[in-house]
Amino acid sequence: MSQHLICLGLNYRTTPVEVRERIAFAESKAAEAALEIRALPGFDETVVLSTCNRVEIYASHNLEEGRAGHSKMRDYIATRFALADSEVESLVFYQLSDAETARHLFRVVSGLDSMVLGETEIFGQVKQSYKVALDSGTTGRTLNKLFQQAFAVGKRVRNETAIQRGSTSVGSVAVDLAEKVHDLKECRVMLIGAGDMSRTCAQSLLSRGAKSIIVSNRSHDRAVELAAEMKGKALKFDEWEGAMHEVDVIISSTSAPHFVIKPEQIRQVQKKRRWEPLLVIDIAVPRDVDPAVNQIEGVYLYDIDALQAIADDSRRERERQLIHCEGIIEQQLNKYGFAEGDAFQSSIQRGPSQA
Amino acid sequence: MEQYRTLLILATLAYLGGLFHAGTALTKRTWHDSRWHALPMLIGFCLTTAFLYLRGQAVGQCPMKSVSDILVFISWSVILLYFLVGGAYRVSLLGLFTAPLVAGMQILAVFLPGAFPDYPLKGKIIPLVELHAAVALIAYAAFALSCITGIMYLLQERLLKKHRIGGLFYQLPPIQDLAKSVRRLSLLGLILLSAALAMSFALKQPVSNPKVIFAWAVWLLYAVMGFVMWRHVLSPRQTAWLAVIGFVVPFVSLWLVTKA
Repeated sequence: MSQHLICLGLNYRTTPVEVRERIAFAESKAAEAALEIRALPGFDETVVLSTCNRVEIYASHNLEEGRAGHSKMRDYIATRFALADSEVESLVFYQLSDAETARHLFRVVSGLDSMVLGETEIFGQVKQSYKVALDSGTTGRTLNKLFQQAFAVGKRVRNETAIQRGSTSVGSVAVDLAEKVHDLKECRVMLIGAGDMSRTCAQSLLSRGAKSIIVSNRSHDRAVELAAEMKGKALKFDEWEGAMHEVDVIISSTSAPHFVIKPEQIRQVQKKRRWEPLLVIDIAVPRDVDPAVNQIEGVYLYDIDALQAIADDSRRERERQLIHCEGIIEQQLNKYGFAEGDAFQSSIQRGPSQA
Repeated sequence: MEQYRTLLILATLAYLGGLFHAGTALTKRTWHDSRWHALPMLIGFCLTTAFLYLRGQAVGQCPMKSVSDILVFISWSVILLYFLVGGAYRVSLLGLFTAPLVAGMQILAVFLPGAFPDYPLKGKIIPLVELHAAVALIAYAAFALSCITGIMYLLQERLLKKHRIGGLFYQLPPIQDLAKSVRRLSLLGLILLSAALAMSFALKQPVSNPKVIFAWAVWLLYAVMGFVMWRHVLSPRQTAWLAVIGFVVPFVSLWLVTKA
C-alpha cells in the first residue's frame, strides 16, 4: 500500500474570519487534535497548524485512494467542532496531495502565502506547530523529512531573496526609520495627539523595545488613558513643547487645521539636544509639522505620504521578488524528488462533494 | 617578482573580491549581515601580514621607511582596526567601505615608481624608534577609519533626508551609532598619535624637523577636531565632513614626511 502526503486547510483567502475562528485549534489543544487525527484509520502522521490566518492539517496516510484522507479529515473537523451539514458544505477547503502539499508548505514557510507577503512570523508558527506534533509523537519519517526540508527552503528563500526586505505598513516603516536613527532601546517617544494611527506607530515602537513614551492630547483624559495603556507618561497639551528636547521620536497626529510644530521650535530643541538626531513623524491630515523642519540639521521629517510611499515601494519590491522565490521552491521540490503536481490554485475545492 | 609583492597583489585581490561580493549582493538586494562577509577581509589581512613579515626580513627592520611600505602598513592597520571596531559598533558594512580604500592604497603602493626599495643598512635597531613609527601609523589608520565611517554617516544622513529608503539604507547602521564611531575613532587616533609624539621626546636619535612639524600639524588638527566634537560645537554632519576632509592632511603628509 502506498503512502500519501496530504494537506487539508483553509485560510484568509478562502474563508472569512468569523468562520476561521470557529474551527481554529487553540494552542493548548493542538497536540490533542494531532493525536486524534493520527488515530483515524489509515493515518500514520500528522501536524496541525492553526494561526489567525489559516488552519491546516498535514498528514500522511496509507489509504488506497489519496483523496480519501481529505474526506476523513473533513469529517473529523465537522465532528470536533460540532458543525452542521450546511456549515460543512459552506467551508472552502483546499485539498492538496503529495507534491502539491510540499509546494504549499514550502510557500507557507517562506511567507509567500501570507496576507503580508514575505512576513516572517509564519516561519516561527510553523516551527512551533511542528514541535508540538513532534513532542506528541504524531510525526514520523515522512512529515519529519517534509518539515525539515520546508524549514531549509524557508531559510534559503529569505537569505537569497529580498522577500522580507522593507516594511509594508505605515507603522512598521516608522519603526524601521526609528531604528536607523537611534538605538531603539534608548529611544524616547512623544505622541502629540492620540489618533489610532499614531497609537499603532507608538505601539510598534514599544513592542520593538522603545524605552519610554510621553502622550499629550487636547483631551487630557484621553492622554492619561493612552499613557496608562502603554505604560507611559501623560502631559497636558500646553506642556508638550517644553518636553520635546527629552525625546528622540515625535509622532504627531492632531486635528489642528494649521502647523503645530514649526521650525523655530525645533531649532531651539536641537540646540538643547546638542544636535542629537530627531525623527519627526507627521501622520496628521492636514499636516501638523511645517515641511521646513526637514531642513534643520539632524531632523528627519516624514509625513503620511512619505511613509505610505515607502510602504508601497517595499510591497512592490516584495512582489518583484516573488518569481525568484517561486523559482527556488520549484528547484528544491525537484531536488527533494517531488514530481510536478497541479498548481495550488486549481486544487482549491469546495466542501465534501469534491472528495 | 619578489614573493612579498605576489602576496600583496593577492591580498589586494582578496579585498577587491570582498568589495565585488558586497556590491553584487547589495545590487541584487540579497545582502544579509553575516560573519562570512568578513572572510575576504580576513584573507587579505593574513596575506598583508605575511607580506609585512617577508618585507621586514628583506630589509632587516620594520618596513616603514618608503611611501609604499608606509601605505601597506597603514592599510594593514586599517583592517586590524576594522576587525576591532566593526564588531564592537555593529558596523559590518564598514568592510564594504574599507575595502576600496585599502585596495587603493595597496595598488598605489605596488605601482609607485621605485616601490619597495632596499633600505640603506643601518646599525642597531632602536625599539623605541620602531614603536614610535608603528604607533604613529596605527593612529593614521584610525583617522582613515574615522574618515570611512564619516562617509557612511553622510550617506545614511542623505538617504534619511531625501526619503530614499532602499537596499543600502537598511544595511547601514543607525546614524547615531555612526556619529559615535566617527568621534571615537578620531579620539583613538588622537590618543595614539599623542603617544607616538610623546615617545619622540624620549628618543636620543634626533628626528628630522619636517617630520616633527608635520606630525605636530596633524596632531593639532585632530586636537582641534576632538575639542570641537567634545564641546558639540558642530553638528554630527559637520563633524563627519571634518573627519572626511581632515584625513586628507595626514594622508598627504605621508609623502612629505618620507621625503624629508
